[in-house]
Amino acid sequence: MSGAVAGGPLIRPDETLQGIGGAVTAIPLTHPGNRRWWIAFAGAGALLGLFAVTLAYLLYAGPGIWANNNAVVWALDIASYDWWIGVASGSLLVSGILLLLGAEWRGAVNRVAETLALLATASAGLYPIIHLGRPWFFFWNLPYPNTYDLWPQFRSPLLWDAIDIVSFLVICVSLWFIGLLPDLATLRDRAFAEATRQADAKAPTRGRALLRAQVYGLFASGWRGSAAHWQIWVQAYQTVALLGVLLVVSVQTGASVMLAGSLMPGWHSTLLPVSFLVNAVYSGVGVTAVIVMLIRVVYGLDALVTPRHLDVLGRLLLCLGCASAYCYAAEAFDTVLSGDAQARAVLVRRLTGDHALVSWTAVLGLVLPAQILWSARARTAPLALAAVGLLVAVGAYADHVMVLVVTLTQDFLPSSRLPYTVDLWGIATFAGSVGLFLTLLLLFLRYLPAVSIVESRRLALAEAPAAQEEARAATSRAARPAENPVAAPLWGVSATFASQADLAAALQAVSGIGHDHARLDGHGPVPLPRTLRALGLEGRSILPYALAGALLGGAGFFALCVYATAYDYVFLIGGRPRLSWPSFVVPSISFAMMAGCVAIHLALLVLNRLPRLNHPAFNIPGFLRASDDRFFLSAEARGDRFDAARIERRLAGLPAEAGRPIEIRRIPR
Amino acid sequence: MAQLFTPGADALYRLALMTGVACLVGLPVLAAGIVRSNYVTGVGIAPAQPLPFSHKHHSGELGIDCRYCHTTVEREATAGIPPTQTCMTCHTQIWTGSDMLKPVRDSYAQDKPLEWKRLNKLPQYVYYNHSVHVTKGIGCSTCHGDVTSMQMTYRANAFEMRFCLDCHRAPEKYVRAPDQVWNMTWTPPADQATLGPKLVAQNHIRGGERLTECGICHR
Repeated sequence: MSGAVAGGPLIRPDETLQGIGGAVTAIPLTHPGNRRWWIAFAGAGALLGLFAVTLAYLLYAGPGIWANNNAVVWALDIASYDWWIGVASGSLLVSGILLLLGAEWRGAVNRVAETLALLATASAGLYPIIHLGRPWFFFWNLPYPNTYDLWPQFRSPLLWDAIDIVSFLVICVSLWFIGLLPDLATLRDRAFAEATRQADAKAPTRGRALLRAQVYGLFASGWRGSAAHWQIWVQAYQTVALLGVLLVVSVQTGASVMLAGSLMPGWHSTLLPVSFLVNAVYSGVGVTAVIVMLIRVVYGLDALVTPRHLDVLGRLLLCLGCASAYCYAAEAFDTVLSGDAQARAVLVRRLTGDHALVSWTAVLGLVLPAQILWSARARTAPLALAAVGLLVAVGAYADHVMVLVVTLTQDFLPSSRLPYTVDLWGIATFAGSVGLFLTLLLLFLRYLPAVSIVESRRLALAEAPAAQEEARAATSRAARPAENPVAAPLWGVSATFASQADLAAALQAVSGIGHDHARLDGHGPVPLPRTLRALGLEGRSILPYALAGALLGGAGFFALCVYATAYDYVFLIGGRPRLSWPSFVVPSISFAMMAGCVAIHLALLVLNRLPRLNHPAFNIPGFLRASDDRFFLSAEARGDRFDAARIERRLAGLPAEAGRPIEIRRIPR
Repeated sequence: MAQLFTPGADALYRLALMTGVACLVGLPVLAAGIVRSNYVTGVGIAPAQPLPFSHKHHSGELGIDCRYCHTTVEREATAGIPPTQTCMTCHTQIWTGSDMLKPVRDSYAQDKPLEWKRLNKLPQYVYYNHSVHVTKGIGCSTCHGDVTSMQMTYRANAFEMRFCLDCHRAPEKYVRAPDQVWNMTWTPPADQATLGPKLVAQNHIRGGERLTECGICHR
């Protein structure tokens, strides 16, 4: 984003690496606003309890409890599913696009957007399962070798949906976890520092403190912020985001083409997939704005989520609001002009019929509120932004209800035109799924960093003078090799630096010593692109693995569709050809995204030699700060020719402004 | 700085990860295996009956025709379980004092049917008709196995959907000449490849397309 964006700096100029880490990790480690959290959690828990009661009754009595014994067979079910998956798609798209565009301010928004995508998908994913009459047979929708000798119908959008939602969940979990991984390491190190302090003070809670550090440590999988780790991490993060963006388009059009492909008035329009996608992204941004504002206010993160962030979110909402207004206008224009009496009747029924309230809520919620964001003052007012976001979310839900219910109530058989009214159990089901979402969201806010620490630190290094100053100040002290050479077997030599530039210079200086007897690596709290040349890692890429995974997965799934439908289970349905390849492409693409994502994960682990909970690098004194504000060089001994003294001399001899370490140590095995 | 985890933690962590992956793969495989096992399908298991009736003795050794007891197999949907009277046509004359046959005589005297344990069951949602299968050339043993060799009767095949579909998709592999339908040791003759399609045409069996329509069995 250029300087044209109003509202001041993207990060407060006095932010430092350590300050960011402290501000964000304070939330999971010390739980500020504990009482408010418990009150909110009790409310969310109550809704979750309502969900459990509703599901139990649903299992006992069947889907008829939703008052859907009429032509509106889905009741609120598909509307809720579409809304949740829309929110998930929107959030995922926002975070993915920000990541791919390299918007440097994304740290404040990305984590929340990724979390929303994950949690909304979890809520959405339950709907297709619970609306089956016998939900325990949900796996019948998946292709697996069964005793019926049948395959699922690969030409059916129902199967596409099943594959889509599984892929979507995998990608959401993956994007969320990859982004979280280095932050988990920061949390682990801070929790460990606290546990050590408590152990020294013999505090009664020291056992719990250590356990907490270990739990974070397990999830951090031994992340050490090594230059090689970071290189793969940056690539993996971006590639999964790309897969996610592609999948969003596939999922949203899949769901809407199902409706548009039918001959129902009000659905049968080529504009429907477009307006579905626009409204999905719109509601995703709306909910993201609400949650970001909430976190900002409750946890006082004004320094990291600055007015400029609000401004950007506001502009995004305004753009999408205009796009949504265009979709409504185009739909009305098209319907009136097309001359189809049925479609015109649906339009009139939407605006004046039994469900007119729903339609007006949709139109007014999606189109009008965003218009106040033309004003720069409204854009930077957190309350205004949150209110608009909330209204957009409500409007998007009403839109789904409008599209589904108004068309369905007017069945083609006049005898089937029974009235449908939303009943209590339908509302309870939706409220319960909101409860599930809120419960998980509150747990996330309590135990995990709500704002990306890594991205905020990168932003601080680029933009905040304090962070840059801090790095310069620390180098001026001279360093000498430690006087007491360790008697124990040697793992290697380490050196500490205050900035990436120093680390890169030092690595360049010692890289001549040769890779045959010393394995060099850098460690730091942010990605270390400047060290890669010295480490000889330049050009290493995760893309071949991602590409191979996606292509193999997609081709494999396509082959499965062809084999099942054209050879193994020939089944004449609706006169469709045996080789209905266009309908096989949709689930194959979804599956390809999932396979690529899994391949990226495997590559991330294998190429980085992770998970590795115990590693000699952790023996480096002060290494906890490798996830905070220090940069470390490690030279690992390889064979007998390793000459620690020579490396130490070379490091100590570097000029103060170009790579001289703060500290040099020998590290025992 | 001290390590947060001992070196052993790594081994445990990897073990746990691998166990997780193994469970992810192994548990569905295990479940699928259990569902297909004889323990669940009951194939080859002869349950205790009111008295130990032997198909091998009556049908195999003495040569009583299937239709002597299962009288409606050629005309009705069900083949029919014989009433006690059918047993007593012979057993009023032979083995009249046998202890083994006491339940049959009791049943006859009290006019209370014997309660046999049913072996070959189909779910309610499956429509099945014996007569059409038998008259179009599908033999008893194709589904019920060689009953004439069963001392105690057991289920020979699990009537899973794939069992039915196997034949409905390619009836020419199983269809028999009319005189072979009651042959309990029938195996496809050498000329089944030419005979099968001929019989299929002759009996107007429309395998593949018509017979695999859902509504053929699930009416």
